Amino acid sequence: MTLTEKDVRDIAEYARIGLTDEELSTMTVDLNNIIETLRPITEYELEGVEPTFHPIGSLSNVMREDEVGESFEREVALSNSDSTSEGCFEIPSILGEGGDR
Amino acid sequence: MNEYSQLGVRQIHEGLRAGNFSARELAASAFDAIDRLDSQVHAFLELTPELAYEQADAVDAAIAAGEPLGILAGVPIAFKDNMNLEGTHTTCASRMLETYVSPFTATCVAKALDAGSICLGKTNMDEFAFGSSTETSFFGKTHNPWDLDRVPGGSSGGSAAAVAAGMATLSLGSDTGGSIRQPGSFTGTVALKPSYGVVSRYGVVAFGSSLDQVGPFARSVEDAAFALNAISGRDPLDCTSQPRDIDYTANLDAGINGMRIGVVPSLLELDGLTNEVKHAFEQSVAKLEGLGAEIVEVELPNAAAAISAYYVLGPCEAFSNLSRFDSVRYGHHAHGKNLEQRYEDSRAQGFGPEAKRRIMLGAWLLASGVYDEYYIPAQKVRTLITADYTKAFEKVDAIVLPTSPRTAFKFGEVSDPASMYLSDIYTISINIAGNGGMNLPVALGEDSGLPIGLQIVGPQFKDENILRVGAALETLIDIPRVAPLEKGGRS
Amino acid sequence: MKELTEVLEDWEAVIGLEVHAELTTLKTKMFCSCPIEFGADPNTHTCPVCLGMPGALPVPNKAAIESIVLAGLATNCDIEKHTMFYRKGYFYPDMAKNFQTTQGPLAFCMRGHLDLELSAKGAAERVDIPKGEDGGYTTRIGITRIHMEEDAGKMTHLGGSEGRIDGAERSLVDYNRAGTPLIELVTEPDLRTPEEARAFMQKLRQIYLTLGISDCSMEEGSLRADGNVSLRRRGSTELGTKTELKNINSFKNLHDGLAYEICRQAEVLESGGVIRQETRHWEPGAKRTIVMRVKETADDYRMFPDPDLAPFDLTDEFIENVRAKLPELPDVKKARFMETYGLPAYDAGELAGDVEVAEFFEEAAQDTDAAVAKKIANLIINDVSAWANENATSISASQITPAALAKLAKLLADDTISSKQGKEVLAALIGEGIDPEEYVKSHGMEQTTDTGAIEAIVEELMAANPDKVEAYRGGKTGLQGFFMGQVMKQLGGQGNPKVISAIVTEKLEG
Repeated sequence: MTLTEKDVRDIAEYARIGLTDEELSTMTVDLNNIIETLRPITEYELEGVEPTFHPIGSLSNVMREDEVGESFEREVALSNSDSTSEGCFEIPSILGEGGDR
Repeated sequence: MNEYSQLGVRQIHEGLRAGNFSARELAASAFDAIDRLDSQVHAFLELTPELAYEQADAVDAAIAAGEPLGILAGVPIAFKDNMNLEGTHTTCASRMLETYVSPFTATCVAKALDAGSICLGKTNMDEFAFGSSTETSFFGKTHNPWDLDRVPGGSSGGSAAAVAAGMATLSLGSDTGGSIRQPGSFTGTVALKPSYGVVSRYGVVAFGSSLDQVGPFARSVEDAAFALNAISGRDPLDCTSQPRDIDYTANLDAGINGMRIGVVPSLLELDGLTNEVKHAFEQSVAKLEGLGAEIVEVELPNAAAAISAYYVLGPCEAFSNLSRFDSVRYGHHAHGKNLEQRYEDSRAQGFGPEAKRRIMLGAWLLASGVYDEYYIPAQKVRTLITADYTKAFEKVDAIVLPTSPRTAFKFGEVSDPASMYLSDIYTISINIAGNGGMNLPVALGEDSGLPIGLQIVGPQFKDENILRVGAALETLIDIPRVAPLEKGGRS
Repeated sequence: MKELTEVLEDWEAVIGLEVHAELTTLKTKMFCSCPIEFGADPNTHTCPVCLGMPGALPVPNKAAIESIVLAGLATNCDIEKHTMFYRKGYFYPDMAKNFQTTQGPLAFCMRGHLDLELSAKGAAERVDIPKGEDGGYTTRIGITRIHMEEDAGKMTHLGGSEGRIDGAERSLVDYNRAGTPLIELVTEPDLRTPEEARAFMQKLRQIYLTLGISDCSMEEGSLRADGNVSLRRRGSTELGTKTELKNINSFKNLHDGLAYEICRQAEVLESGGVIRQETRHWEPGAKRTIVMRVKETADDYRMFPDPDLAPFDLTDEFIENVRAKLPELPDVKKARFMETYGLPAYDAGELAGDVEVAEFFEEAAQDTDAAVAKKIANLIINDVSAWANENATSISASQITPAALAKLAKLLADDTISSKQGKEVLAALIGEGIDPEEYVKSHGMEQTTDTGAIEAIVEELMAANPDKVEAYRGGKTGLQGFFMGQVMKQLGGQGNPKVISAIVTEKLEG
């Protein structure tokens, strides 16, 4: 598996990371080097092995009761944004619709 | 004043009770040490003297009022800068969070402070914990107190250096693939990564959610156990935290006579394992045997697979966890003409190169098609590694390994990302399986003169075994607990 | 464009629905303890978790899991014991983490179905199946799954036209709604007409309301549907390219949007064009659908199991505890109303579909006979509902008590008052909460059923109009109406028509 600069450009677009042309070529080299070191994972004999997504032993069904707790004061909720208006987070214009919703 | 900041937890506790010094004097001594040393070490990103003195005064008031004193009361502590503490910056050593001020507090931090410890500040790290050297911090490198030309390890390099240099008695770090144990090894500190779920992750900025675990740095095994007692336990805010209530100091004096301790011969034949580390390891095993332990050979046949599994799972989880840094609610904010541009520019400017690499890698690995080829096999490898450990721990009570194949390296010495990854070979499989592991400083290298650590690994959720073995072996170790802070290495 | 029924002669429509319901009756959000409240000041119901602050972790709301299991049991689903939450990644500012926590290949509820009964009116669109005696038909709609997820925040677009995203200069984000528990039901592509889609939505809404898991307000968006539709020639079994209608917020829009889309697709296909896979938006004002987004490739959401949430392994005990909370469902209630009160299917169905109405009916109809029960049903279904709809209120918000409605029904059933008078009494009942019996008395409404008095009047009239009596007896039976009218006139309109009619006929026949 080798990524082209076009592939990396597409990934960057998806991951919302702007890359200059120079960064793009460095990134392409770096990613391909790393992917090469990951190759063994595609070669193990794993037939019949179940994946383990959660290394938590027998823990399951962890839930909380439906009881109201503390919410932020609005000023606190907004305190780390330098772009707010009318009690909301403000963002510039959006080009596309989001996802399949 | 210097000597106060080098005291252990028990000495502090007894000194406070005896009235030999006050908590305020302890705090002042710690900040004095930081003043003198941190310009060279750069362990701290933010200091919190106001909070510290307020806490110290509360401890002194409690003593004056004759109230019972918790064991951590008055103990100077520092927190890795990926742990939220309300009102402090939590930067993850990233430009992305340079101005972010926490509106809430991580459970581990809250528990440590509730136990009476005194917060000195927040410590340096690799950006978002991506690294093994603390060189990727946006705010500058941390220097190894044993040799200022060398890295302290990482990603919890600041927390390790703060304790090693005698600036803090305890610190907390986080470990995703070795980020507590490896800097522990490089700085000669006791550094414990508990089993996954023993300490709540709530409020600790996530890197690899199924791998991350918080643990303490200390200058003795007993201090690490005291710290773990304070921060561990089920947290209703973390679904993956374990409902366990254990006194980790309970069997520290029990010795290890009759305990079965595993060694893994195949892992001692790896390229890159230096002679001095291998030698120190063999000497440690001999000491364990001398203390009455039975040394048993065990196999971890899939340990090598752990590395590629780790470098699949870590970036996948990191990519997803770091998606939230989009400049809308918090974080670095570029002024794009539209939202898409603002996203791309904010993230391009806010994240450093290593963070970008991991995010990009994770985005690729999770893509449809690639996911089945890499992510699912990696989770299956996790099943095999877990089974390896389970099988090994049927035969032994603990396993010992080197922590790192070598001692601390010089700045810039290891720059190729792929070979940097290999330095985590002894630590990674333990995160994959979710077991606990601890670095115990056992020697100064016969060639380098730098600290060498032994890693003690326990069965999942039996971290008390680790501490028990560590406490026994520690009695036979005679190296300085506080780094000499020399430049240019030892002659 | 051709009419829908004409199109459906040649084409078969294949329709699937995705129905989102917010669990508005819960106290707190899906993964944090912030309260759920519609219309609160922006960003006042937020915390580290629902703002996606770094380090925050989700903890699932047990009541939400119970609610979805309840929904699954009520829609004949298998409850999947072993499931996990997944992260579904996409960048959008209303999603604080830039991923949505949802479920993966296995949802809590899988493989269910609902049976729809289409009345004669709704059945007209379905040309390909035989109808029953009443002109309706029954069809079973498969449910693929119901999964648990979280809602997004709310955005307000400023500077453009009418709050639309196109042309907006900036947008405001409010995360109060972010993290509201949401269940998404996905049907099999088993629906064939817009009426079936509407009937499915209505039935599902009735069920959710009966379960009490959502207020199902389509206006406020707590119940919303997406519809997928494709066409194929009658007789073909291949699936055509589908388009998707997004965020439909009323039953009428669901029906009309799908109907338009079917006709539009038919026109495109019949003129030799191809259908593009795209998302379209129904504009009720302009009565058309417009393109929102063309899907050239499948979206890649980078789904993977959420490591922050422990897996589920629901116990039998958990499921049985939920099952014990299952209320009587509309279908069962309908059958019982038919059996117990002798109601026709339509009446029973209308009453059973609304918990509040059904309760009201049962309270009113207790200790009455079938005739009175039928009158109660009529009053509720026709008059009270019309009033409640007009005034956007509900039966419980009126002055009517079940006992009072029962009294009114009895007055109607035993012909004490006419149905026209019944409406007047009902109006007074709704407005002022009067007692129907007293009202009828005090307004002199009681119909004369005094046969002696009526006989006297009839005899008097016959004596005064011998020619008309003669003509009647000679075969002009239509003259019965003349005598009836005269009697009624003399009684000032208060006579009981049935009684008068019987006496007039009897006397005239001699």
